[in-house]
Amino acid sequence: MNRINPIHIAILLVVILLFSILKLNAAKEELSLAKSSYKETLALAVKLDGLKRNYFDKMKVQNELGRILRKPALRSANIVKKVSKSSIILSSQNIDLKALNTLLGKVLNATFYISELKIKRLSEKNASLKMEIKW
Amino acid sequence: MFWKFKGQVDTVFVDSNSASFKVDKSVNVILSPALYWVKKVSLPVKSMREVRSLLESLFEDTLPEGNYSYTAYKEGEEYLIFAYEDKKIIDILSDKGIAQGQINAVYFAQSELSNLKSPKKIDKESVLLVKDAIVVLLPAALIEADEVLDVSNLSLSKHTIRLKQFGHLVNDKSLYTIAALFLVLIILILSEYFITQAKVEKIQTQQSELFTLYKLKPTMLQNRSMLKEYEKIYKTQTKLRETLSVLLGLSLQKGHAMKLLAYKGKKLNVVFSGLKAGQEKYLITAFKRSKLQYTAKFKDQNWYVEFSL
Repeated sequence: MNRINPIHIAILLVVILLFSILKLNAAKEELSLAKSSYKETLALAVKLDGLKRNYFDKMKVQNELGRILRKPALRSANIVKKVSKSSIILSSQNIDLKALNTLLGKVLNATFYISELKIKRLSEKNASLKMEIKW
Repeated sequence: MFWKFKGQVDTVFVDSNSASFKVDKSVNVILSPALYWVKKVSLPVKSMREVRSLLESLFEDTLPEGNYSYTAYKEGEEYLIFAYEDKKIIDILSDKGIAQGQINAVYFAQSELSNLKSPKKIDKESVLLVKDAIVVLLPAALIEADEVLDVSNLSLSKHTIRLKQFGHLVNDKSLYTIAALFLVLIILILSEYFITQAKVEKIQTQQSELFTLYKLKPTMLQNRSMLKEYEKIYKTQTKLRETLSVLLGLSLQKGHAMKLLAYKGKKLNVVFSGLKAGQEKYLITAFKRSKLQYTAKFKDQNWYVEFSL
């Protein structure tokens, strides 16, 4: 009669079963949280990466601007390029409206972070320009 | 009267008519023949296992209706087979003051008292004796007995039984099946738990890899804040382009000109020259068509417009 009572074994099994179910539920909840956290991180990372690449990549900004400024229509447009640590300032005291249109068309169609823009009409065919592009 | 001291464990002989016992510690119980059924049989079998499988059928049509457990042991060339009701015995023991937890071992009178040389008195009404090698209980009126049964010097055999508390509800086979099912269920649940944990770890590793791959800041708070800032810039830049597209696409009337265009800090200021009050209507229509938000004022024949981005 000193053997283990079957009812004790039954209770132990039920307790272990309940404990296992609780642990499993907690793990499933953890998994669900981990999945949603991963999805959120991935979505955030992709968005951040896309925005960084488009607006805040120094090399990309410099290369693209260089390509634009090397266009024949802009090469002789007296555009001065001043590069600082976090931006490029394009300026011209007297730019032909045709060249200005070309420049604006190219810059506005690309993904540059224009932080400042000032165009002042000087005459029917000329204007002054100051444009700051940041990264 | 029926007590025997052996080490730390006392022995008691229990019959349905026994007086109550005062039990403080663990006891061995010898069951009266009134509490079990016994048969001596010869069987053409080789092992006890084969005997056990036959026990129920060997008692068929002999026993009154009830939930019986069966046991057997070999004596010489024959087998002594027993049938007993666990619950009935447990209830009687309990009535006599012996709780289940106080029972060390349970024996049949048959296995322990088969060597009785003379009839022994159990109480005023019953006498215990051995007849044809079977221990039986007879009314005292049928046989005389001078001596009272004393189990104090008895050497107990190894033939014990285990009383099953719920034997009348669930048999052993069902118990084992239920326990096995529980175990399988536990194993399955624990397996799923470990698989889930492994999945969690894998996802967490992949998440860490995302931080490295996309060069994210160490905390999500920093990253969220950064994204919010970038999205604000993206929104403003998009709005700037939309507004400039409307402004640069305007067909200005003769004598009208865009004198100045200046953008800084979410404000885009435009100055139109050569306009008199009321002449700006076609421009207002164009702005409204493109849903641009603006404020405007006239000063010195110049129309100052400020767009909020």
